[in-house]
Amino acid sequence: MIWLNRFTTFKRFTVEARRCVEAAIEEARILGHDSVEDEDLLLGVLAADAGIAAEALDSLGVSLEAARGAAEEVFSDTLASTGISFDEIRQQTGEGFEMRYSSPGRLPFSPQAKKALKMSLLEALQLGETKITGEHILRGTLRNQDGHAVRVMANLGVPVEAVQGRLDQLRRQSPTSDR
Amino acid sequence: MDKYVKMQVQEPRDPQEGLEAVVALRRLLEMLEASQVENAYAAGWSWERIAGVLGVSKQAVHKKHAKRLKARFSGGDRGGEEG
Repeated sequence: MIWLNRFTTFKRFTVEARRCVEAAIEEARILGHDSVEDEDLLLGVLAADAGIAAEALDSLGVSLEAARGAAEEVFSDTLASTGISFDEIRQQTGEGFEMRYSSPGRLPFSPQAKKALKMSLLEALQLGETKITGEHILRGTLRNQDGHAVRVMANLGVPVEAVQGRLDQLRRQSPTSDR
Repeated sequence: MDKYVKMQVQEPRDPQEGLEAVVALRRLLEMLEASQVENAYAAGWSWERIAGVLGVSKQAVHKKHAKRLKARFSGGDRGGEEG
């Protein structure tokens, strides 16, 4: 996959973590993003992780559908600040309206997504692990205070600290191989 | 609504909010373009005619939308003009 070469850090990703990133790219398209944003990484983890990251989010009531809805809400709230109602436009445009970003070609990673991925690496190193997992992506993404993912979580009413606490708890309970 | 939009988008405000509003508007614009181009294509408009109204080259509009629309309308339920 070409995009793996874009980041030197991708070679440190587990197969599953790469699946999360691939899923993030698809989530970006679904939401009409012209680049992969940090909130797409959060959605990617929800879509593709099979370890404690997905488990932690699930146990806090965060589903992929709910998170997509919250991400769309952040978008429509921003539009509302310009006096535009996204729902109204969508209704008026009718059935031809799609959020999906239609241009072909590879989506670049946004600066916030890159920052989140860098923080994922730091999270892995801090935990003394050499491979980046879905858990590290989730931790790194939520550590990025300037990103949109933290806002998506806020819209869902789930504090970032609660996710981190749950991850710590699951970490203590599960053997390394399950992460 | 015009007055309101002008007030909100053009008046100086928190740069973070202002810039984010621009990004959201750009996204919305892309969605609307996709839907309007699809509408024109379904109505049988040629790429040239669509491009002419959008004020871009035929190549640009084709590159951006052709693959998606051809996949969608492969059944041939377009009306009117040539493609």
